[in-house]
Amino acid sequence: MDINAEERQLVLKTFLIESGERLSEMEEALVEFEASPDNLEILDKIFRSAHTLKGNSLSLEFDEIGKFIHGTENLLQKLRIREVEVTGEIVTLLLQSIDMLRHMIPDGVAGVFVMQPAHLELIRQIESAANGLKSEETSQPQTGGLPQGAEKRRRPWGRRREDIHELIDKTRSIRVGSEKLDRLLNLMGEITLSQGRIKEELKIRNDLKKDSFLQDIYTDTDPLLTELQDQIMKLRMVPVGPSLRHFIRVVRDIAKSHDKLAKLVIEGEEAEIDSTFIEALRDPLTHMIRNAVDHGIESPELRRGGGKNPCGLLTLRVYHDSGSIVIQLQDDGAGLRKKEILQKAVALGLAKESNRLSDQDIYRFIFEPGFSTSEKITDISGRGVGMDVVQKGIDSLRGTIEIRSQEKKGTIFTIRLPLTMAIISGFVVGVGEERYVIPLDSVVECLDLSEARDFGNRVVSSVHRAGSGRKDEKEKGSGFIDLRGKALPYCRLREHFQLGGKAGTRENAVVIQHHDMKAALVVDSIYGEIQAVVKPLGELFKELPGVTGSTILGNGKVGLILEVASLIKNIEVQNHSLLVK
Amino acid sequence: MEPLDEASPEIQILTFFLSEEEYGVNIKAVKEIIEYATMTKIPASPPFIRGVINLRGSVVPVIDFAKKFGFPESQVTKRTCIVIAEVEHDGRKNLVGVIVDRVNQVMDLLPSEIEPPPTFGTPVQNDYIGGLIKRDKNFILILDFDKVLSLDELKSGFTLVSPVP
Repeated sequence: MDINAEERQLVLKTFLIESGERLSEMEEALVEFEASPDNLEILDKIFRSAHTLKGNSLSLEFDEIGKFIHGTENLLQKLRIREVEVTGEIVTLLLQSIDMLRHMIPDGVAGVFVMQPAHLELIRQIESAANGLKSEETSQPQTGGLPQGAEKRRRPWGRRREDIHELIDKTRSIRVGSEKLDRLLNLMGEITLSQGRIKEELKIRNDLKKDSFLQDIYTDTDPLLTELQDQIMKLRMVPVGPSLRHFIRVVRDIAKSHDKLAKLVIEGEEAEIDSTFIEALRDPLTHMIRNAVDHGIESPELRRGGGKNPCGLLTLRVYHDSGSIVIQLQDDGAGLRKKEILQKAVALGLAKESNRLSDQDIYRFIFEPGFSTSEKITDISGRGVGMDVVQKGIDSLRGTIEIRSQEKKGTIFTIRLPLTMAIISGFVVGVGEERYVIPLDSVVECLDLSEARDFGNRVVSSVHRAGSGRKDEKEKGSGFIDLRGKALPYCRLREHFQLGGKAGTRENAVVIQHHDMKAALVVDSIYGEIQAVVKPLGELFKELPGVTGSTILGNGKVGLILEVASLIKNIEVQNHSLLVK
Repeated sequence: MEPLDEASPEIQILTFFLSEEEYGVNIKAVKEIIEYATMTKIPASPPFIRGVINLRGSVVPVIDFAKKFGFPESQVTKRTCIVIAEVEHDGRKNLVGVIVDRVNQVMDLLPSEIEPPPTFGTPVQNDYIGGLIKRDKNFILILDFDKVLSLDELKSGFTLVSPVP
């Protein structure tokens, strides 16, 4: 019945990892607590953590460490019941005890822990802090021995089998270095490429019909590979919580520096997200949160006047929704002031008074680079600082961002991201010898250009475009096509990328969409769908507009992956200038 | 390989031809030499960037030295090669390919055989040159790949900005 040495080893390992994480949590929470000493919830959390840590230490027979934590726990309890007032010194003491535990626990696990004078000194200080001014009320003598409660809990190793098995169960999930996963993914990518080549080869030989045997094998492997790919992708998913928690601190700091009160609540910490996203999201989220506190949340007086809780509430929500990840930042602040944004946009020449714009269109102006930097930000509804960074960051993850806002009530930013970013479904198009990949989820439909009536003539001639001759119209790079009675702006990719050469006799238009904007890309040929393994283009081409990355195509050549968002924007701008001339 | 290299005082220089002239580069900067392959054009990039190639799954940019140095354009022949070099940027190693008309030889030289670069009169911008070898009546200029192919240098060639105002 005894737990064998191997199991104990396993348990110790888990204990080591978990206690490290727990200590970090406690540290974060302590800082948080210092800022809002009225928030007993935080204190409860710290207390619970300390308690669990003590229990675990004792059950693993780390008596002296348990004793040490007990002292800390005792002090926390005194703070909880308001017997001891929280002060900077006390928080410092508690932080110091966390620092010490960071060394004590690994030492204990390694079997080399010895109580040292520094530890005893801290225990003493914590004790006297716990006894504080009201020492006569703390009847329990802290004479160094374990107090009664802890004594009862202390049992010899092996009796608490349930607890130990609980711990062992947790270790069934193993930790794997992310570079191993990257390697796995790269291999998967290479296999996907070979598979693509087999498919192409089968097509070329026209064996798809003739050679049913080969075709059968191919058909069998295809779903298996897709499944394998899915599984590998899932391995890369990590809970989003740990990477978001530090924003709690960020909110506190910013609020403090602006003489405001604000707190951040995170919902859906357990939601899983591609680990590559987490790093990429850091900057955009930081900007959004900073802006929400800076410009969204009003001053405590103003909030009180408006019948709100003086402490502003930010909620960061993460959840999965039909194949994408949704990250939402909600604040209960002042909301965006539509009128002023529009005025500002008009002043900057981004919009016209006469334009009929939806709320979304208006809000979207805050993403324009430098939108609110030219005047005092806080005069207008703000939210301009760095919001173009947010847009760029989200675009680079092939995500979308949407804003909902109500004046005086608050604002909700909703970011949608594809579940993974390492392999995407793509649509291959060709211009001359070049092949481009358009992310499939932004392709709406394809048209034969000769069938779609060219609007260009009418629109262009009605605004007297200089030098627009007939011949010019046919060859021009952009204009409008008639899509079921609606004018759809288009551009020829050949022209846009300055590829040179002449278009073929048949041209195709691929209708692409980003948010609610649509445009058409005119290309020579259409090759169909592929599973594209996204490869970064590297430092040199980092800021190439219209291109987001690359992939290796079935023929072994590099294919560029188009960035739909900026392409559509460019098409709009081009055609807009065409109209206003 | 490595320990031997360090023990011997000799420097190995790979030489290649560009517009009928022989140039050299310290072989340490060279990762491998591959056959010329058709490449994927990068839209709106400076003319000296010929495009990108797939090097066993990695996407590698390829630079046309003739264009970069303003030499007359050379035709792609059977002997045209891509020299794959490794350059460091911000502590990370990047691969960059270079088109050369043909690769000639590897020379083993003593450090004393390499002279400092001339201060003027070179066909190539002076700070791109790391040294000079005298051979018979000819000179071979040794290019400093870390300088010519530094990402900052290459990036400066992009006149391109997003047309969005």
